[in-house]
Amino acid sequence: MADYTVEKIYTSDKRTMKLVDELLNNEGIKRDKNLDYTCGVFNARDELVATGSCFKNTLRCLAVNHEYQGEGLMNLMISHLVDIEQERDNWHLFVYTKVSAFKFFKTLGFYEIARVQDQLVFLENRPSGFTDYLAQLDSDDHLKLKKSQKVASVVMNANPFSLGHQYLIEKAAAENDIVHLFMVSDDSSLIPFEDRKRLILAGTRHLNNVIYHESGSYIISSATFPSYFLKDSETVIKTQAQLDIDIFVEIANYLGITHRYVGSEPFSQVTSIYNDIMVRELQERGVTCMVVPRLKVDGAAVSASQIRLALKEDRLDDVQRWVPQTTLDFFKSAEGQRVIARLHRSTNVVHY
Amino acid sequence: MEIKKNAVAGTLESSDAQITVEPAQGKLELNIQSSVLNQYGRQIKKVILETLDNLDVKSGRFYVVDKGALDCTIKARVEGAVYRSADAAEKDIKWGALK
Repeated sequence: MADYTVEKIYTSDKRTMKLVDELLNNEGIKRDKNLDYTCGVFNARDELVATGSCFKNTLRCLAVNHEYQGEGLMNLMISHLVDIEQERDNWHLFVYTKVSAFKFFKTLGFYEIARVQDQLVFLENRPSGFTDYLAQLDSDDHLKLKKSQKVASVVMNANPFSLGHQYLIEKAAAENDIVHLFMVSDDSSLIPFEDRKRLILAGTRHLNNVIYHESGSYIISSATFPSYFLKDSETVIKTQAQLDIDIFVEIANYLGITHRYVGSEPFSQVTSIYNDIMVRELQERGVTCMVVPRLKVDGAAVSASQIRLALKEDRLDDVQRWVPQTTLDFFKSAEGQRVIARLHRSTNVVHY
Repeated sequence: MEIKKNAVAGTLESSDAQITVEPAQGKLELNIQSSVLNQYGRQIKKVILETLDNLDVKSGRFYVVDKGALDCTIKARVEGAVYRSADAAEKDIKWGALK
């Protein structure tokens, strides 16, 4: 291994980043737009022969030049990336990879969580990570309710919590004995998870049959879903939908969930494709998907992206029409003002 | 020695082992992955448990990814991970007393 060195590559180093892109392209991968660390393996002639990156607690865009495969360079690189992750205090790591690369990761301390046939495998570096996640979902208060018949679930980002979200949960809560509410805890939204969570809790406090869960790293938002090795955007949406559904069904079976409530999607084409796949796949696997028409205010469906836009443009009167009092109070507070300031600075508030 | 925080020692390169340790309440958990598990799994486990015993480690969750490391390598990596996780500074380690 003395002939090879691993080094950090700075994104400002355009020349080397170009080599990274070339290497990735040759191996059928595009550079992911979400990366926060990139390294390269260089040979004795200082040529780039392998590259790998991180984004938060995931490893991404890993490739070894095919002429150098079989020399253990992937092992060298993963060791380096694991060190980097640990410096950032990320211990529980995840990898999304092509099915063909699965066998390498299996020998590097990674374990399969779920897979989408012919497209991708989702792995983590804890042999019982997902089982442990399922086990902690089963809180004590849930055990008491386990005999109840109708158990439903809602998964939401709530970015931010609106009257539409409240309406969906209220409907699920009214029609079922228990509702498991999964809050997407992946912090890639413009509104930080802690705030989103607080607003969900405040806006559903009047419901006594809701059990709250954090999605952890198992259900992530589409903004950070790695898609670099999938061929086109439609495949990306479909693959993510299938992976999410696979994981959701595991959770549903564990908690006895029979129904999942989702809002209809009149705006975003991406979410609409996603929902179509979800309805079909869930049905096949024994979970009924209830697509609830969006709540309308003054004839228009309530949309979180419209609320973010209104916040950015300081139209609090509009925000007031679309959110519960609890959410409005938050945005009037000092903390809420800080979030609004963040929205002001952001150029695209609609698609996150 | 007490496992106070997460730590890692070693690499995934050939002839090495990567040992990750996490605190666990009152129990010792060992998880071994190895390319030679069928041949040397028991020996690897024995070396790790002996090393932990020498260090007086009673609890912790250990994830071992072995790439064909020799016993002495495994021992050194386990010691490294434990010292790091116990916040042991260089001067606190009784090098001469290591078995």
